Amino acid sequence: MAPFELLEPRTLREAAALLASGDATVRPFAGGTAVMLMMKMGVLRPTRLVSLRAIEKRYSGIEAGAGGTLRIGAMATLSTLERSPVVRKEAPVITRTLRTLSNVRVRNVATVGGHLAHADPHMDLPPVLIALGATISTVDAKGGRTIPLEQLYSGYLETTLGRGELISEVTVPRQAPRRAAYLKCTTRSVDDWPALGVAVVLDTASENEGAVVRDARIVISAATDTPKRLGAAESALRGARVDDSVLRRAGDAAASEAAVIGDEHGSAAYKRELLRVYVVRAVRAALARNEG
Amino acid sequence: MNTVQRTIRFTLNGEAVSADVPPHWNLVELLQNRFALFGARESCGQGLCGCCTVLVNGTAVTGCLYLAALVDGAEVVTIERAADGDGLDAVQKAFIECGAFQCGFCTPGFILMTRQLLDEKPDPTEDEIRHYLSGNLCRCGAYPEIIEAVRRAARMRKSTS
Repeated sequence: MAPFELLEPRTLREAAALLASGDATVRPFAGGTAVMLMMKMGVLRPTRLVSLRAIEKRYSGIEAGAGGTLRIGAMATLSTLERSPVVRKEAPVITRTLRTLSNVRVRNVATVGGHLAHADPHMDLPPVLIALGATISTVDAKGGRTIPLEQLYSGYLETTLGRGELISEVTVPRQAPRRAAYLKCTTRSVDDWPALGVAVVLDTASENEGAVVRDARIVISAATDTPKRLGAAESALRGARVDDSVLRRAGDAAASEAAVIGDEHGSAAYKRELLRVYVVRAVRAALARNEG
Repeated sequence: MNTVQRTIRFTLNGEAVSADVPPHWNLVELLQNRFALFGARESCGQGLCGCCTVLVNGTAVTGCLYLAALVDGAEVVTIERAADGDGLDAVQKAFIECGAFQCGFCTPGFILMTRQLLDEKPDPTEDEIRHYLSGNLCRCGAYPEIIEAVRRAARMRKSTS
């Protein structure tokens, strides 16, 4: 790794100011697991790293507000999120997702804000949080803004964050009474990066003969350059009583609408077939959960 | 650009120490180059294999992805710290008794992670063991023996507590 200067501001505003210069070689550093990897590979050669680890403690907290809405500080580690009783209570799909997200040591260090801002489409939480309807708040020299999480992503490893703009907090509406599932397909070992991730959140009216879907949000990752909502697959489910033919239509719609790209985890053609199958499995997994 | 070495002070295996480190060194480089501790070793270099496991403030981290400068003020524990007086602890004994290694390169990481697991969950299921240790790779393939060793260590810790 090449040498750099390490700065450790005490406040988020100070950090944002240090990053606002427009110099692309000055980069933020939260948990640093992804940044360290990129520096080791030589794809990132910063002159200055602005560590966020010494900023105000409140940006590491997790709390549930009115109606069970989760407020997650961007500097909360993934382990803190995984072990949080309020997260388990208000959005259990997040707790389940974390169990197979990277490994214990990375989760101990990596942060929620870093995980989202890294914008590697293979990450697990972006599709889950987008499907739940999460928003992010940011801070910059001019103040800050709040946007739906799906508007953060503009391309492979690219976000809509400006220079000197940092995520401060993630807000996640309570999962219940909706049903949710996240499934991923890894093609080498269980803990490998996914070839495909599918998050499904369903608002259902249960009836004797099965579930009628009032609303559906389906978001995929790893097979597209950014996390993507699948509008046609959602439409195939909306208002329908879920049976095999409805599920098949949703899977086919997903496979036709997504702009699937191949990578070392699978070709585009292979991932398209995975998508057809995994959308069906994810909807079934969500319906099988009774945690509303 | 101020890339000169900085002096950090921290606790290493129970002793107060200080060291001059370049800002781009990782924790493994610090331990090996300044303290001649070679139990944490970089193998995959990507956070996947667990050979570089180190405890920082009681939490397991990937030493090769952790900036050395950031342990300033922290409590650092490596595999070199004797677990139980001068002897071996239940986890080390169980790994020996079960033959849970061949070459031993990955063993320090497995030992430290198993201690963390048993501190959190004294009686883990096989599924919990497999998930918790999924970030530790043994290229000799001693996984069945490792899982047996974790179970054995859990029983040993229970019977002595």
